[in-house]
Amino acid sequence: MAVSSKSAAPMYTDDAVRWFALATVLWGVVGMLVGVIIAAQLAWPQLNLGIPWLSYGRLRPLHTNAVIFAFGGCALFATSYHVVQRTCQTPLFAPWLAKFTFWGWQLVIVAAAISLPLGMTQGKEYAELEWPIDLLIAVVWVSYAVVFFGTIGIRKVRHIYVANWFFGAFILAVALLHIVNSAAIPVSLTKSYSAYAGVQDAMVQWWYGHNAVGFFLTAGFLGMMYYYIPKQAERPVYSYRLSIVHFWALIFTYMWAGPHHLHYTALPDWAQSIGMIFSLVLLAPSWGGMINGIMTLSGAWHKLRDDPILKFLIVALSFYGMSTFEGPMMSIKTVNALSHYTDWTVGHVHSGALGWVGLISMGSMYYLIPKLFGRKDMYSVRAIELHFWIATIGIVLYIAAMWIAGVMQGLMWRAINPDGTLVYTFVESVKATYPFYVIRLLGGVLYLGGMLIMAWNTVMTIRAGKVAVAPVPPVAAAHA
Amino acid sequence: MEPALSSIAVLDDPLEQQRFTRWSTGRDGQRVAESTLRLSGMYCAACAGIIEQALHGVDGVSQATVSASGQRAAVRWDPQRTRPSLLVEAVRRAGYDAAPDAAAPARELRRAESRRALWRLFVAAFCMMQVMMLATPSYVAGPGELEPDLAQLLNWSSWVLSLPVLLFSATPFFSGLWHSLRTRRIGMDVPVAIGIAVTFIASTGATFDPGGIFGHEVYFDSMTMFVAFLLGARYMELHARQRALQALENALDSLPQQATRLLADGRSEEVSVLRLAVGDRVRVALGQAFPADGSLLDGHTQVDEALLTGESTPVPRQPGETLVAGSTNLGAPVIMRVERVGADTRHEAIVALMREAMSQRPAMARVADRLAGPFLWVVLALAGGAAAAWSVIDPSRAVWVAVSVLIVTCPCALALAVPASLVAAAGGLARRGVLVQRLDALESMARLDHLFIDKTGTLTTQLLQLQQAQVHQDCAALATPQAALAVAASLAAWSRHPLSEALAAAGTAPAPWAWSQVEERPGQGLVGRDAQGMAWRLGARDWACQGLSAPAAAASASAAQVWLCAEDGSCASFSFDETLREGAAEAVTALRAMGYRLSLLSGDRPARAQRLARQLGFDAAIGGATPQGKLAELAAAQARGERVAMVGDGVNDAPVLARADVSLAMGQGALVARAQADAVLVGNRPMDVVQTLRVARRTMGIVRQNLVWALLYNLTCVPLALLGLMAPWAAGLGMAASSVVVILNALRAAR
Amino acid sequence: MDILYLLIPLSTALVLLILGVFAWALHRGQFEDLEREGERILQDEPALVDADQSRAVQRTEQSPTV
Repeated sequence: MAVSSKSAAPMYTDDAVRWFALATVLWGVVGMLVGVIIAAQLAWPQLNLGIPWLSYGRLRPLHTNAVIFAFGGCALFATSYHVVQRTCQTPLFAPWLAKFTFWGWQLVIVAAAISLPLGMTQGKEYAELEWPIDLLIAVVWVSYAVVFFGTIGIRKVRHIYVANWFFGAFILAVALLHIVNSAAIPVSLTKSYSAYAGVQDAMVQWWYGHNAVGFFLTAGFLGMMYYYIPKQAERPVYSYRLSIVHFWALIFTYMWAGPHHLHYTALPDWAQSIGMIFSLVLLAPSWGGMINGIMTLSGAWHKLRDDPILKFLIVALSFYGMSTFEGPMMSIKTVNALSHYTDWTVGHVHSGALGWVGLISMGSMYYLIPKLFGRKDMYSVRAIELHFWIATIGIVLYIAAMWIAGVMQGLMWRAINPDGTLVYTFVESVKATYPFYVIRLLGGVLYLGGMLIMAWNTVMTIRAGKVAVAPVPPVAAAHA
Repeated sequence: MEPALSSIAVLDDPLEQQRFTRWSTGRDGQRVAESTLRLSGMYCAACAGIIEQALHGVDGVSQATVSASGQRAAVRWDPQRTRPSLLVEAVRRAGYDAAPDAAAPARELRRAESRRALWRLFVAAFCMMQVMMLATPSYVAGPGELEPDLAQLLNWSSWVLSLPVLLFSATPFFSGLWHSLRTRRIGMDVPVAIGIAVTFIASTGATFDPGGIFGHEVYFDSMTMFVAFLLGARYMELHARQRALQALENALDSLPQQATRLLADGRSEEVSVLRLAVGDRVRVALGQAFPADGSLLDGHTQVDEALLTGESTPVPRQPGETLVAGSTNLGAPVIMRVERVGADTRHEAIVALMREAMSQRPAMARVADRLAGPFLWVVLALAGGAAAAWSVIDPSRAVWVAVSVLIVTCPCALALAVPASLVAAAGGLARRGVLVQRLDALESMARLDHLFIDKTGTLTTQLLQLQQAQVHQDCAALATPQAALAVAASLAAWSRHPLSEALAAAGTAPAPWAWSQVEERPGQGLVGRDAQGMAWRLGARDWACQGLSAPAAAASASAAQVWLCAEDGSCASFSFDETLREGAAEAVTALRAMGYRLSLLSGDRPARAQRLARQLGFDAAIGGATPQGKLAELAAAQARGERVAMVGDGVNDAPVLARADVSLAMGQGALVARAQADAVLVGNRPMDVVQTLRVARRTMGIVRQNLVWALLYNLTCVPLALLGLMAPWAAGLGMAASSVVVILNALRAAR
Repeated sequence: MDILYLLIPLSTALVLLILGVFAWALHRGQFEDLEREGERILQDEPALVDADQSRAVQRTEQSPTV
C-alpha cells in the first residue's frame, strides 16, 4: 500500500535508533578488541610493553566499560527507542533530546577511553569513571528517562507492552544505583574519594554491582528479548501472562542478592547468608523468563534451522538460563569457598556476557539494522550464520577454559599439607593456568572475529540500502 | 426455543437501550452514549482489530474497544449521529455478529470486586515477601552477631511494611469481625481478625519497646504470611463464583424479545415486548414464543407448554382459547389479543412464587461457622489462663506466652480448609460439566434424605422423538415400517413443524421421493402428490385419514401421533414420545443405591408419570401437579424433617428449586430455573446428579480430615506453647506448615 | 554494617513505590485482555517510505545466499 505523502501520516523518529545501532557495532569491535588485548597480556605479560596506558590494570576497566556501557548501552538505547515507539504507536517524545542522549553517551565513552588508560579511576568495579564523567552520565540518563517515559506518556495504545516495563525498570534502577554508588568527594578535576569507606563501601559497591547485572544486563536485555524474539519468530510470546508475572517476580527479588559477592570477607556472616538465600530464590523468576522466551518457538522449531537470527536469539536465552543457574550455585557458601577469586568467576561473567548479552544484542541488531536502511535482510545472511557459529565456538572455548582453570586454582589454593602448610605457592597456580589463558584468548579472538564479520556485513548493508522512515500506523484512539 | 425475529431496529428503542447503554455528558456538554455489545464469531486474535476498525468506520463513533478474551465491545457514540442498530450492522458487515450486552452492569461490578480482591492479595503477598527478607537476618544470625541497632532497624522496616497489610489487605477480616459483633453471631472472621490484631499489636510493642511486656520477638512475617494465604484462598473462591455467574450470563445474549404488533390500518410494526399493552393485536409466527398472556383471535394452532406446565404433548388451541406467555407456537402463524403483560403474566406469577419460596428456605449453617464460636472461646480461655499462670511464674514472659498461644492455634485449618476444599471440588465438577453456583450447597448436598426429580426435560428430553412406526394398510411403497418412514420423512422435509423435523431426522430415504404440489395446511398437515401423481397426506389422524377406513385411534399412551395416508387407502402411523435421557435409568438406580428416597414430580398426566416412576424405580410419583402443588409436596417433606433436593428444568420448577435445601437445574432448562439453582448440569446428563452428590460427600470427608488434622495440630502445639516450650520461629513455622498441609489436602477434592 | 541504615530504608521506600506503580497499572487496566496485547506487536506494519522521496520503498532486497 503506497503512502501518498509524508505529511499524511506521522513518521517514527528513528535517527537516534539508527545512530545507536551503528555505534553498537563499532563499540562492540572496540570493546572486544581491548578484551583480546588484555587476555593476551594475561598469557604474555610482555605485551604490557612497559607503557602505562597499555598496562593490564588500566585496560581492564576500559574493556569492561566498553563492552557493558558502550556496546551493551548503545544496544539498549537503540532497541528501547525502537521498541517504545512501535509498541506505543507514536514517535519519540522530544526526539531532539534523544539525539542529545546519543551524543552525550558517545562523549561518555570517549571520555572513558581517554581517562581510564591515563589511570584516572575511582577503583570501583563497573563504576571506575571519575566524577565529571559520572555527572555527565547522570545528565544523559535523566534525559533518557525523560524521552522514554515521555513517549510512554503520549502513547496511543492503552496497554504498555511488557518489554517497556523491563526497559522502564532498567532505566529507573540504573539511575538509583548510579547516584547512590557514585557518591564521591572530589578533590581535583580528575580525582575523588568515595563517600563510603571500608566494608561499608564494599557493601554499597556490590549492591550496585549485582543490581547493575540484574537491571542493566538482565532486565534491559529481557526487554529486548520480549520484543525481538516474537517479531523474528512471527509468533507471540508463549505466555504473555507469565511474562508479566516474570517481571514483577524478578524486580522484587533482585535487590537482596548483592552480598553473594562478599562471601568470606569482612561482611557479617548473616548478611552473606541472606545474599545466598535470595540468590537461590532468584533462580525461579529467571528461569520463568527463559522458558517463556524459548517456548515462543513452540510449534515453529523448524524456523531455527534456516534462520540464523533466531539462532542468536534463542541460544542467547539458553546461555541466560545457564548463567542464572550457575550464579545461584556459586552463591552457595561452600561452593563459593572454592570459586571466589578464581577464574571460574570470570567464566561465569563471560558466559552471561558473551552468551546472553552479546548474542541477544547481535540478534536484535541483525533484525533492526536492515530495517533502518529500507531492507528486509542484512546484506549477507550467510555471514550471519557464519558469525553465529564462530561466536558460539568462541564462547564455549572461553568458558570451558575458565571453568577448568577456576576449579583448578581453587583446589590448588586450598590444598594443605598434613602439617598445615600450603602445598602450592601462588605462582605455581599461575603457571598451571597459562595454557587455559591461551585457550581463552583463542575463544576471545574467535568472538572478536565474529564481531568483525558483523561490522563488515553492516557496512555492506548500509551501502546497499538507503535511509528509510516508517510511518506510524493509523490506530483508532484508545487512550490511556 | 427459537429466538424472536432478527430485526435489529428494536435496539434503537430507548426502553431497550437502557439495558446495555450508559449515558453521560461529554467534555463539550454533549450527550455521549456508551454501549456494550456481546460479539460472536471471533475465532482469532486479529478479529478484535477487524471489529474495532469496522466500528470506527461508523460515523459518530468516538471510541470502540474490543476485548478479545471477553468477546465484548465497548463503544462510545454520539446519539445525534448514530444508533445502536447501525453499530450492529457494521459488525455484521465485517463478518461477525453482535448483540446487546445486558449483563454489563453486573459484570462491571464483578470486575471491580475481582480487582479489589486481587489488589489486596498482591499487597499482602508482596509485603509478605519483603518482610520475610527483613526477618531472615534474625533467623540466620548467631547470638551476638546482629547488632541491636541493626536488629531494631530491621524490625522498624518490617513494621512499616506490615502496615499496608494490616490496614488495607486485612480489612475484609476486620469488617467481618465488626459485622459479627453487631449481629452477635460468631463467624470465621472473628478468630482470624483477633489473631491478626494480637500478632500485630504484640509485634509493634516488641518493636518500639523491646524491654517491655511484649518482649523483643516480632512476628510480622507470620502475620503477613497468614493474611496472604487467607486472601489467596478467598480469591480462588471469588474467582470460582464469578466464573459460574459468567457462564450463566452467557444465556442473556439473545436479541431482545420482539413482537409484531398489528396496527388499526392493517400495517404491522416490530416492537419490543416491553411496549405491548393490553388490547394489542399481535401476530405470532410459527416457532415463536408467545410474548404475552392472551387469547387466540384468528387461526388454529398447537402450543407447546412443557416448559411451564410439564405437559409434553402439544396442545391444540382454537380461537377464543387462552394462550400463555412463554409457550411456543407450533402449528401455524396466528393472531392473538394481548390480555396480560409483564408482571401480570402467568410466567411472572410463577417467578414471584419462586422468590417468595426462596425467602422461606431453611438455613443450613456452615460447618466452619458453627465451629468458630467454640474454637474462639477455648482459645481465648487458654490464652487468658496462660497469661494468668505465667504472671505468677515469670511475669516477663506472661504476655508473650499468651500471644504465642493465640498465634500457634491457627484458625487456618478452619478458615482455609473449608473454602479451599469447596473451591477445589467446584473446579473439578466444572471440568466435568457441572457448574456449582453456590459453594455452600456442597455441604448441604452431603446431607440429603429425599430427592424430588422432575420428569419432562429433566429425566426425559424436551423434544418429542419418534418411537414407533406402524403400517396399518400396506402397499408397494409401505411394505415395511422402515419404508413407510422413508416416505414420510421425505414429505416431512418440506415442513418446519417440530414434529415434521423430528420425522425427517428419523428417516432416510435411499432415494428421496419427488413430491409435487406440496401444501402445508396449518393445524392439519402436509399434502402432496408423488411421482405417480397420487395424493398423500401426512398429519393429524382425523384429517389425514379422512374418507379412508383407518383403524380406530387406540387410546395410545404416546404423546403425539402423525399419520401418513394415500388416496388408495394405504396408511401408516408414527408415534412420538419423550425419550429418556441417556443415563437416566442408571442414575436413578445409583441414587437408590446411595440410600436416597426418590419422588417423581410432574405436571404431565398422572398416568404417564406413574408409568415412568414404576419403570425406573421411584418410591413415589406425583403427576398433574401445578407449581403450587409441587411446592406443597416439597414443603410437606421438609416439615417432616427431611432434607430435600430438587432436580428440575422448567419455569414451573422454579419455585420448588427455590424452596429445596439443594437445587440442581438442567443446563437446557429455563433461565429462571438455572439462575438461582445451586448447581447447573451443563451437560444435561442425569448421571451428573449422581456424580455431584458423590463429589459432595467426598469433599465433606476431606473437610472432616482437615478438621481432624487441625485438632491434632492444636492438641500438640498448644500445650507446648502453654509451657513456654514453643520457640517463636516454631510457632510461625507451625502455622505456615499447617496451612500448607490443609491446602494440599483440600486440593484432592478436585479429582 | 552502618551502610544498612541507608540501604534498608531505601529498600523499604522502594517497596512502597513499587506497590504504588502496581496499583496504578492494575487500576488503569494494564492487566486486561493480555493474550491480545501479546499479539498486537505482530500486526502488520505499513510499508516503509524512502526518506528523500516519500515513495514507498520496495522491501525486495534479497541477500545472495541460501
